Amino acid sequence: MNAVEIRDLTIKNKDFKMDSLSLDIKKGCITGLVGKNGAGKTTLIRALTRQLRPQSGSILYDGKKFADHEVEILSEIACVFDGPHFPLGMKIKSLKSAFAALYPAFNGEMFEALCRKFSLPPNKRAASLSLGMQRKLCIVLALAQSPEILILDEPTAGVDPSDRAEIMSLLQDFMLDEGHTVFFSTHVTEDLDKIADYIVIMDGGRIIFNEDKVAISSSYRIVDLPELTDGVKRSALGVRRTAYGCSALVKNDGAYPDARIPTTEELFLYLTDGDGEGICGH
Amino acid sequence: MHIILSPLSGAPIYEQIERQIVSAITCGELLQGSALPSIRLMAKELGVGIITVKRAYDDLCADGWCYSLQGKGVFVSGAGADVRQKFLREIKERVEELVRYAASGGVGRGKLLKMIGDEGGDSDERR
Repeated sequence: MNAVEIRDLTIKNKDFKMDSLSLDIKKGCITGLVGKNGAGKTTLIRALTRQLRPQSGSILYDGKKFADHEVEILSEIACVFDGPHFPLGMKIKSLKSAFAALYPAFNGEMFEALCRKFSLPPNKRAASLSLGMQRKLCIVLALAQSPEILILDEPTAGVDPSDRAEIMSLLQDFMLDEGHTVFFSTHVTEDLDKIADYIVIMDGGRIIFNEDKVAISSSYRIVDLPELTDGVKRSALGVRRTAYGCSALVKNDGAYPDARIPTTEELFLYLTDGDGEGICGH
Repeated sequence: MHIILSPLSGAPIYEQIERQIVSAITCGELLQGSALPSIRLMAKELGVGIITVKRAYDDLCADGWCYSLQGKGVFVSGAGADVRQKFLREIKERVEELVRYAASGGVGRGKLLKMIGDEGGDSDERR
């Protein structure tokens, strides 16, 4: 089942083009989006969260059109952007009342419990928090809206490893409900290696890879070779060379018993920088 | 039950989870009829994807180690107990053979037990 279905989404402006992009975001799963800066991740997220109007194409939320169910859909989606989307001078407790007024489903008790858990004191102003604490505050505010779908743009950028681990565990808590869905973009690919169910890679406004983790660990391999053989060259999806040898991303056909499972970072590097063509899983 | 995942082991995470659950079943740590944690809880506690745990549980069911009850969860089947029984029977046969062999050379039960005791090492039987 799909939480979001994107069909033939086209967005063009003077220096960027997303042409007829389609993507299903699976309900009950965590989907991670990676890509270079400028690949179109934030554009896609802004289209998903209705901050940007596409020239053409459609987005269905739980099978419903935005135009027909605007209020309902907006109440089911919560977003975390790459910076705070509220005045930093506000105290945490006034943010609570402001958000409670904006979002009917805002869960004040949950907000307070999460603030206590993450040592976010109610009388502090957001501006006086460290970057990691601000990120956590944004995520806590989003979770307290009791959404079905959580969309995050680089939630862990600039966050230290222990805060990152807490944020990931917070996302996994949210996923205990099987009706919930998380879609997040990140450059921190280790986070995706751990908790993501689907990996989507974008490059140049297109989706060049979309697979679930089980498919990745059974169908893709990295082989290390002293030099590139013709066979590997023909079938490689991406190749990287060093002064002392080369490595290739290949489909796992059992021919290379020593080959290893690619990490998200390797998939990203081989598919976007390597010599091979991009592939789309579906 | 302990599950230790190693990203460096080369085996897919779902296989590592499967293998460790199978070994918990065959050594009698997970008993017939006991419920495995829900897929989502296991995913959260191991810090892995939901699909990864789902695949491990699906394989355990397909291989007969577990069975799934719609809406209730995944439970340990009797297959593990059978494997355990077979293992214990094999040990019993070998012990009988050992006792006969020792007796043929005039080594009695007392001496034999002492030798087994002296073998030492890991004496903490699990079950």
